[in-house]
Amino acid sequence: MMVEIPKVAVLFGFGINCDRETAAIFELAGAKSERVHVNHFINGDKDLSEYHILAVPGGFSFGDHLGSGRLLGNRMRYAMREQLTAFAAAGKPIIGICNGFQVLVKTGLLPGREIPDFEQRASLTLNNSGRYEDRWITLEFDSESPCIWTKGITRLECPIRHGEGRFVMPNFEDLDTLDANHQLVTRYVDPKSEVGAGITDEELPFPICPNGSARNIAGICDPTGLIFGLMPHPEAAYATFLHPQHTRNEIVEEIEGECMKIFRNAVEYCQSNL
Amino acid sequence: MAANIVRIEVTPKVGSGFRDVRGDLIKRRLRADHAIEFTQVRSVVGYLVKSEISSEEISDRVEDLFADPIIEVGTTDALILNDKTLFADSPELVISIGFKPGVTDNPGSAALDGFRTIFPQTESSAKVSTYLTYAFYGGPTDLDSNWLAGELHNGLIEKVVIGIKGETAPEIEFPEIGKIEYSAPKSIDLEVPDEELIRISNEGLLALNLEEMHAIQAHYRDPEIRKARAAAGLVVDAPTDVELECLAQTWSEHCKHKIFAAKIHHVDSETDEDCTIDSLFKTHIMKPTFDMQAEVDWLLSIFHDNSGVIAWDDDWSICMKAETHNSPSALDPFGGAMTGIVGVNRDILGTGLGARPIANTDVFCFGPPDWQGDLPDNLFHPSRVLRGVHAGVRVGGNESGIPTVNGAIVFDDRYIGKPLVYCGTIGMMPRHLPDGRESHVKNPLPGDRVYMVGGKVGYDGIHGATFSSLELTEESPSSAVQIGDPITQKKMVDMILEARDAGLMTCITDNGAGGLSSSIGEMAEYTNGCDIDLSKVPLKQEGLKAWEILVSESQERMTVSVREEDVPAFEQLAALHEVEISWVACFTNSGLFHVRYGADTVCQLPLEFLHDGVPQLQLESEWKTPELTPFLPPENPDHSNLLIRMLAQPNIASKETWVRQYDHEVIAQTAVKPFVGVERDGPGDAGVLAPIHGSTHGLVVSNGIAPRYSDIDAGAMAAAAVDEAVRNAVCAGVDMTKIAGLDNFCWPDPIESEKTPDGRFKLAQLVRANRELERVCRAYFVPCVSGKDSMKNDYGSGEGKISIPPTLLFSLFGDHPDVRYTTTSDLKPGESLYLVGTSKQELGASELAFMLKASGEADGIGGEVPRLPDPEVKLQSYKSLTKAIQNGIVRTAHDCSEGGVAVAIAEMCIGGRCGAAIDVDGPGNADLWGRLWGESLGRIIVGVSQENRPAFLEALSGSEIMYLGETTDSDHLLIYYGDDLVIESKVEDLVNSWKGSLDMTGGDQ
Repeated sequence: MMVEIPKVAVLFGFGINCDRETAAIFELAGAKSERVHVNHFINGDKDLSEYHILAVPGGFSFGDHLGSGRLLGNRMRYAMREQLTAFAAAGKPIIGICNGFQVLVKTGLLPGREIPDFEQRASLTLNNSGRYEDRWITLEFDSESPCIWTKGITRLECPIRHGEGRFVMPNFEDLDTLDANHQLVTRYVDPKSEVGAGITDEELPFPICPNGSARNIAGICDPTGLIFGLMPHPEAAYATFLHPQHTRNEIVEEIEGECMKIFRNAVEYCQSNL
Repeated sequence: MAANIVRIEVTPKVGSGFRDVRGDLIKRRLRADHAIEFTQVRSVVGYLVKSEISSEEISDRVEDLFADPIIEVGTTDALILNDKTLFADSPELVISIGFKPGVTDNPGSAALDGFRTIFPQTESSAKVSTYLTYAFYGGPTDLDSNWLAGELHNGLIEKVVIGIKGETAPEIEFPEIGKIEYSAPKSIDLEVPDEELIRISNEGLLALNLEEMHAIQAHYRDPEIRKARAAAGLVVDAPTDVELECLAQTWSEHCKHKIFAAKIHHVDSETDEDCTIDSLFKTHIMKPTFDMQAEVDWLLSIFHDNSGVIAWDDDWSICMKAETHNSPSALDPFGGAMTGIVGVNRDILGTGLGARPIANTDVFCFGPPDWQGDLPDNLFHPSRVLRGVHAGVRVGGNESGIPTVNGAIVFDDRYIGKPLVYCGTIGMMPRHLPDGRESHVKNPLPGDRVYMVGGKVGYDGIHGATFSSLELTEESPSSAVQIGDPITQKKMVDMILEARDAGLMTCITDNGAGGLSSSIGEMAEYTNGCDIDLSKVPLKQEGLKAWEILVSESQERMTVSVREEDVPAFEQLAALHEVEISWVACFTNSGLFHVRYGADTVCQLPLEFLHDGVPQLQLESEWKTPELTPFLPPENPDHSNLLIRMLAQPNIASKETWVRQYDHEVIAQTAVKPFVGVERDGPGDAGVLAPIHGSTHGLVVSNGIAPRYSDIDAGAMAAAAVDEAVRNAVCAGVDMTKIAGLDNFCWPDPIESEKTPDGRFKLAQLVRANRELERVCRAYFVPCVSGKDSMKNDYGSGEGKISIPPTLLFSLFGDHPDVRYTTTSDLKPGESLYLVGTSKQELGASELAFMLKASGEADGIGGEVPRLPDPEVKLQSYKSLTKAIQNGIVRTAHDCSEGGVAVAIAEMCIGGRCGAAIDVDGPGNADLWGRLWGESLGRIIVGVSQENRPAFLEALSGSEIMYLGETTDSDHLLIYYGDDLVIESKVEDLVNSWKGSLDMTGGDQ
């Protein structure tokens, strides 16, 4: 049976705060969204397997205390382990944006293994600047990445809004392995660089790389390419009029922004594969 | 098993790829604020877990909860600083900072929540307390460690221990709260001499004056009242402490706005006017708004609710509220400001049947951050106030997921005495609920259950309302400070909005000033009575007295009423969201504010007396134009150099490093952000939002504030504030037929007394401000739908008294037909530049005058202050310009405010990284100084592309408009006065000056 309109579970509760826009934007991309409280999955009121996409939105779950994403990650790691394993095994896409990315990293779903083992292998921690910041950055994407969310995307602009976005792994070899698997899906790049040739392992200066992330990493995927997490907020750039320079451009009838492609990709993936 | 205390300490790994950012931040802050260099600062986070779980069990799971295994190292039951593998060198100085007993510890509560995930068997009485330790290396040898500790902690709420090299490392202990036994209410004898009445008020921090004490005394002499009290088992002829406290809260200046409600005898010694004003509020704010309400259909709810509500379209309504949190922010900048922002969010949540906060605005007034002069006792340095307030608002707004879309930071020496922290919030709600009820109407009935929703009640925030109605002194109480917890509140917001949509609530309001006494007391007016049982209120600490429970301002609480049949669904929703709710009262129609502790009545006050019993103040006002040394411009000026200096003035300089730390884009709706232009660092004027995803229908939010004009005339100050807010909204292309305003007054005490010998003058300033507010609002058709006043913004008394300049913040929100059709201030290539409005010779109290007086280049700031004699003319231009913007003809506009045309055009060059050549000579009789630096109202600089020029000129025909010049391909700003080149500046130099002075980050490393 083909999925025509995929159902998206957008998690909320405990300080997640981008749930409304994330849900709305999946709907604009052709999905059916439902904001589901984390406890609904934990206490069994709702069944994760009835959904086709899981989105863990941005926010400040548990106030980032004890490290961003840690406490919500723990709740999911302890109370949703089976549901999440089954969801991944069913080949269904998961996205974590900003705090959602931090949650997925701290549950161990990212960078993860083919079959989730819920072991934390990386971390996202305080920006080198020591400051939470909201600023637009430029992203470029690994064209060979298995990530189903980013197919056909070369470069995007969207905001980062975080204080703990510096991606860290214990040693260089770990990063090499992810790179070789094309799991380093997206990186901060110099907006003045040639499109398609912006990605570099060299440390880019602040604010091009806004947080001091290893190899300018902005987002990664699991080995299957189904689970994707990123610090920037593509949902906050869903429309052309949200771009900080839109008054410098022609006024256009079509308001859809380039970042919608990420959400459309997942919807199309479900339509073709589930 | 007995509870034991287990210590866990965590420190970041350092070395290749790892760093201790928290320590680095302290290092940079000391560099930026005090020019003190350390080679290294390292940080440790400590947790003290008080539970029955053994130290061994916890130790096994440290990396599951407390320490991130990738980036941190943790120890159990040991000070990590003693671990030589982690800290090979012992630090020169160690400072550990923990909370005092009873102070809100948000990381501690989060840790406890996480602890229960891992140890579900944890007993309910378990607690976690947190602390921070800093280890300092390589600092100056003569540094006073006590001074440094003082810089890093606030003694009002935190404790500190210091360790010097060679001594044993200091240990923060668990902040145990001493046990307190509940004691029954006392009655207070008011049949005493007047001096004694005043003593009772002063010592109890009741802030009641003699006349008010007499009114209370008279109440207890009423035979009818005595009879009713006898029946209730109360002492018949004297109030209980609960009653007296409750009256003090409800009658406080903070809650009752007694000065705005006063009968004022106003005399103007210049015009010989001699009149009586029966309530400034009713005369100049309420009346004009009601008059406007009669003409439109979109003013849904004004004045009586927590915020004013307007219809935005057929489906949605919008509301807005702004508050100040000045006194708490002076005592604890971080906690005070955070409580300010999350508090005003609750005003929105408590509007109608619950609105969703969608945007915040923050306007602060501080002393100069580089202040070198003396500081009065008990006051923080302005840079510390700035850092703390900013951090509080940042945490409060960001963690709540509410974007901060507009604001300002204003500096003046006098705000050292009392910083002003204005926090505003916009809310949105469906016009109708799924059950058909109009969402802006509350509809409780007698018998409805009243729930307290959210956190528990503690000592924090007792006497906030009365305290803010007194001037700041060295003895100001620590209990007046509360610390908010945005996450507890966020959970509550999530839950309340679901309850609203499910139709489970009949009434809702927030618990702010005055706590339950105010929230239930106000809601009880709907049904004409309530019955509260304080023994049902969950407490943070056992032993709180009845009056303390009733007036405590502990944060994150709403009061909600629910019909009996909806109780199960409501309680289920609370359980899902893990929100604590307690059934504490019922509505009645008894006419009484009736409070019990269990079976015992502890307070019984007729609602009518509680709400309307306060006697009207009779005040004296006398205006005399202040005599000020006039501002005379220096001879042989170098205007290019003046421009560079002006751009670095704190009131003008970029606040980017501060404002970027606010999330201004959450909810994916912010179409014009605080920063605009090529490098996204040019100034934004108004915030523009498109709150419905997929739709371009918009909202505009702006602010106006001009406190220094009060030095010459507070009336001009008020007019300027309104015009600035409107001008900013015009630049965004607002729909001029649907804009609403908020008036937030912050004044020094305007009541003549021994402490305030110039009270008559300060009151006259208030009278003039109100009159101008009314005049301009009527002319522009901006109804004031909500507002607030804070009337005791002074520090100390006598010689050392510091009074703030009378300050009106005018916030504006309005409709926008399509957010794509808006402007930003950055110049776009190939534009012709026009000045809408006229420059007059108005340099009095200008930024230039203040700058040159401070540097000794001018003797005074007096002279002609900007005024608005012709708002009708301005309105015509504003309407034409907004139409042109809405038609897509204009894409560039920037309002002229501090620093006049010269600063405005410079900012436009900065945003566009674009040169321009303009000639400021033109109509009117202002001289070069007036044209460059004067701050005449009603002026906007507009950029128009060549193709749109004819259409623009046609659209603006009949408006005051002057051709200024063109953008250029060069990287220079050239300003001519006729044939004379008077300013020539490289755009890059403008950028550096504008962005350099308020950075305060201490560099990148």
